[in-house]
Amino acid sequence: MRMGAVKNVVLLASGLALAGLGGCATPPPASDPDAVAEFNQANDPLEPTNRVLYEVNTGLDTLVLRPLALGYTWVLPQFVRTGVHNVLNNLDSPVLLANDMLQTKPRRAGDTLMRFVINTTFGLGGIFDVATDWGYPYHDAGFGQTMALWGVPEGPYLFLPILGPGSPRDTSGYGVDVVLDPLTWVGLNNRTVATAGYIRYGVTLLDVRAGLFDSLDKATAQALDPYATERSLYRQHRDSEIEAVRADTRATTPAWFAAPATH
Amino acid sequence: MLTRRTLLTASLAGAAALGPGLPPRPAHAGTPEQAAAFIEQTGKDLTGVVNGSAAKADKQTQLKSIVDRAVDVDEVARFCLGRYWRTAPPDQQQQYLALFHQVLLKNITGKLGEYQGVTFVVGRSVVRDDSVSVATVVTRPGVAPANVEWVVSNATGAPRIVDVVAEGTSLRLTQRSDYASYLAHNNNSVPALLDAMKQQLGQPG
Repeated sequence: MRMGAVKNVVLLASGLALAGLGGCATPPPASDPDAVAEFNQANDPLEPTNRVLYEVNTGLDTLVLRPLALGYTWVLPQFVRTGVHNVLNNLDSPVLLANDMLQTKPRRAGDTLMRFVINTTFGLGGIFDVATDWGYPYHDAGFGQTMALWGVPEGPYLFLPILGPGSPRDTSGYGVDVVLDPLTWVGLNNRTVATAGYIRYGVTLLDVRAGLFDSLDKATAQALDPYATERSLYRQHRDSEIEAVRADTRATTPAWFAAPATH
Repeated sequence: MLTRRTLLTASLAGAAALGPGLPPRPAHAGTPEQAAAFIEQTGKDLTGVVNGSAAKADKQTQLKSIVDRAVDVDEVARFCLGRYWRTAPPDQQQQYLALFHQVLLKNITGKLGEYQGVTFVVGRSVVRDDSVSVATVVTRPGVAPANVEWVVSNATGAPRIVDVVAEGTSLRLTQRSDYASYLAHNNNSVPALLDAMKQQLGQPG
């Protein structure tokens, strides 16, 4: 959901870019079954277009986003940035809760609800993530994930500037998350509220980007083909997240509820 | 993807159904206990070096000996080259193995400074296909704890690490897709890959 916040701005721009570049990857000849298998596994028929958008994104990132995020980490100490990160996570709670419920995962929905209640109160408006220490760890949830659990196929790989790696399923999932977010609909005609909304988008971008210095930046710096490496990392991470939700089959009976004796 | 997932779930369910003590365990796996003990020991060795007080160059030498001992580098290298391994002539294979070894070491030792203060806790270990997957939680100062799985194989007769899965992303799968894509965009030429690896090492191509 996190990057979904910036979707509004970007979708139009990337839509224009897509319209201009209709490149499709040429499948390898059928006489080379290994290459065909590899091509199908990559599931990236729009690769030439995606690569152009990847370059656009790298350019934007080098010129604008990365310096801003570096400044952000340079100006603010770690504990402030952690607080900001926690507040942003807490603001996402309604979207997480909606998706937990749509995924029919009551325990995850319970975790999200408890986190929101605990962190908003004891965590002073979400600045401190007290709930994790109290046994309610954070988890991400978005409508792309929800659709995956419903059996919607991922579709081909899609790389959009700023939004980053995605697929028809997951990128449209971002859009649904924005619609699901009550904060999208609050104070539509109020300038102050609207400004607060844009500040949230902006800070989310910085927070997400700063979080990538350590992981993604290092991985792509070591890669011979950063585009393919990011594609692979994205897909694996996505699949493991979906698997984690699927595998979360905790019982809804609380631990303190005495189980009926079995004789 | 669905097939792989289904297979994985099926094999996990199979492993769970068989339970401990029942014989049909794949030949290379070793027991989960052995693998967990091996990771515990290797992890101690690694954190000992990383958090130790030795000079950087000494640490790098010590790390190299741990990697040589604990990682089945040749197996990882072959996996990463995928289908191109079979078609490459022996001299290219040898050159590739040597380069892969150096690149891997460079990537590991290059991260020395960032791992200062690292700690880890070993969790569950599960038999998966012909290897054992050992779950750990790795904690670094100022960074959220990460779930890291170590895939241990006994194919060489002793336990060796063949993959590291950090937060659901497999190091060797990622590396394989990197190489595969590079090769696909360079006329499937293994010598081109070898040149690129030399460049990564800062050697003249």
